[in-house]
Amino acid sequence: MQIFYWLLVLYLTINVIISLFRERKPWNQVACSLVLILFLLRLLFIQ
Amino acid sequence: MKLPGSRILPFPRFFFSSGLLILSLLICFFAGKEFLLQRQPEPIYPSPGLTSQKKLSDYFPALRKTAGETEVYIFEGQEPGGHIFLTGGTHPNEPAGFMTAVVLIENIAVEKGKIVIVPRANASAFTHSDPQEGNPQRFFLETVSGRRFFRLGSRLTNPVDQWPDPAIYINPGGQKLSGSEVRNLNRCYPGRPDGLLTERIAFGLMEVIRQEKIDLGIDVHESAPEYPVINALVFHENSSELAALVAMNMESFSFKIRLEASPPNLRGLSHREWGDAAHILAVLLETPNASHGRLKGKPSPALIVEGIDKFYPRAARSGRLFVDYPESGIPLKERVARHLASIISLIDAFNELFPEKEIKVKNIPEPAEVMRRGVGSFLHPPD
Repeated sequence: MQIFYWLLVLYLTINVIISLFRERKPWNQVACSLVLILFLLRLLFIQ
Repeated sequence: MKLPGSRILPFPRFFFSSGLLILSLLICFFAGKEFLLQRQPEPIYPSPGLTSQKKLSDYFPALRKTAGETEVYIFEGQEPGGHIFLTGGTHPNEPAGFMTAVVLIENIAVEKGKIVIVPRANASAFTHSDPQEGNPQRFFLETVSGRRFFRLGSRLTNPVDQWPDPAIYINPGGQKLSGSEVRNLNRCYPGRPDGLLTERIAFGLMEVIRQEKIDLGIDVHESAPEYPVINALVFHENSSELAALVAMNMESFSFKIRLEASPPNLRGLSHREWGDAAHILAVLLETPNASHGRLKGKPSPALIVEGIDKFYPRAARSGRLFVDYPESGIPLKERVARHLASIISLIDAFNELFPEKEIKVKNIPEPAEVMRRGVGSFLHPPD
């Protein structure tokens, strides 16, 4: 179960990273990076 | 750079995106590192009087490799005598309870009888902090050579280890409580062997009591200064004579202690269930702790150690508290000294009531000395 959850967070993280590079407006990119921080923390540090 | 379904990114945008990605990773690294520090337990250096050290799972194997696993320190004398069980860290946001257990572990030797100490009764609750409180993760004490850190945890088991909470919790004693109390160790006694993590920890601690053939159980806590049960000893009705003797003995340490009988219909607490389910003498100790009170100002490591707060003296002057709260604060050293005085008094009272089960303990720090020199003077220096 844990691995499915981890894979789901990984998939969403990759999508956020792709969005970060695809967004045209700087503020949207900053917003992406703020969301990315939460996903990365959940993925790598916080159980 | 080309991404699926997109055209080639212009260089400034690519660099800006890459910069944000690197910045995000750096923030994650430092924030995550700080966060994970919460799960690093402080070292405890037992005195040479330690006879054996076990794990809670040695008494209840279902806790092996779970967040409920914790250390059990056993000090046994050469001669037989009574057996005492002492828990600190039932609520890791009550630092004097935990520190009293640590001071005992790092100093005592038992000549007669046995003392079993569990300093981190709810180890999972040490791994996080109460949300929205702004509490510091750690506090620090100066020893004779160097500074040691200690965790300030939460009252409840970490939700990472036990989640979700029910809307209403019916504890093993059949009492209906609010949902979050399902993670409060001191509402889960006598525990359930197949229950949720906190109930299994409670069951494991009951197993320690049963397997070590304990005679007297002492649960060391703190309470907010506005809480009525303060500077108090809560006793099971089978310990009323013991409690009365303690109140008299405490006078010799210049401490006054309030005696509170454990209500028979308040289920799930140590002072009730240890007595009812394991038939031992059961008491719980409380001292005033501003750092987990509702009226406190800014939380800080200094508030925990010095106990100085600008709002509590004002509340005391207005008659809102159940304890006098001076401008100079109620420091950790005074709260630990009070607990030590209570424990010495409990041992003396136990010996008076049960001379055939006499317990002899040496090197318990003198409460007056703890008040004078501070808690750190009685702790092992850091490695």
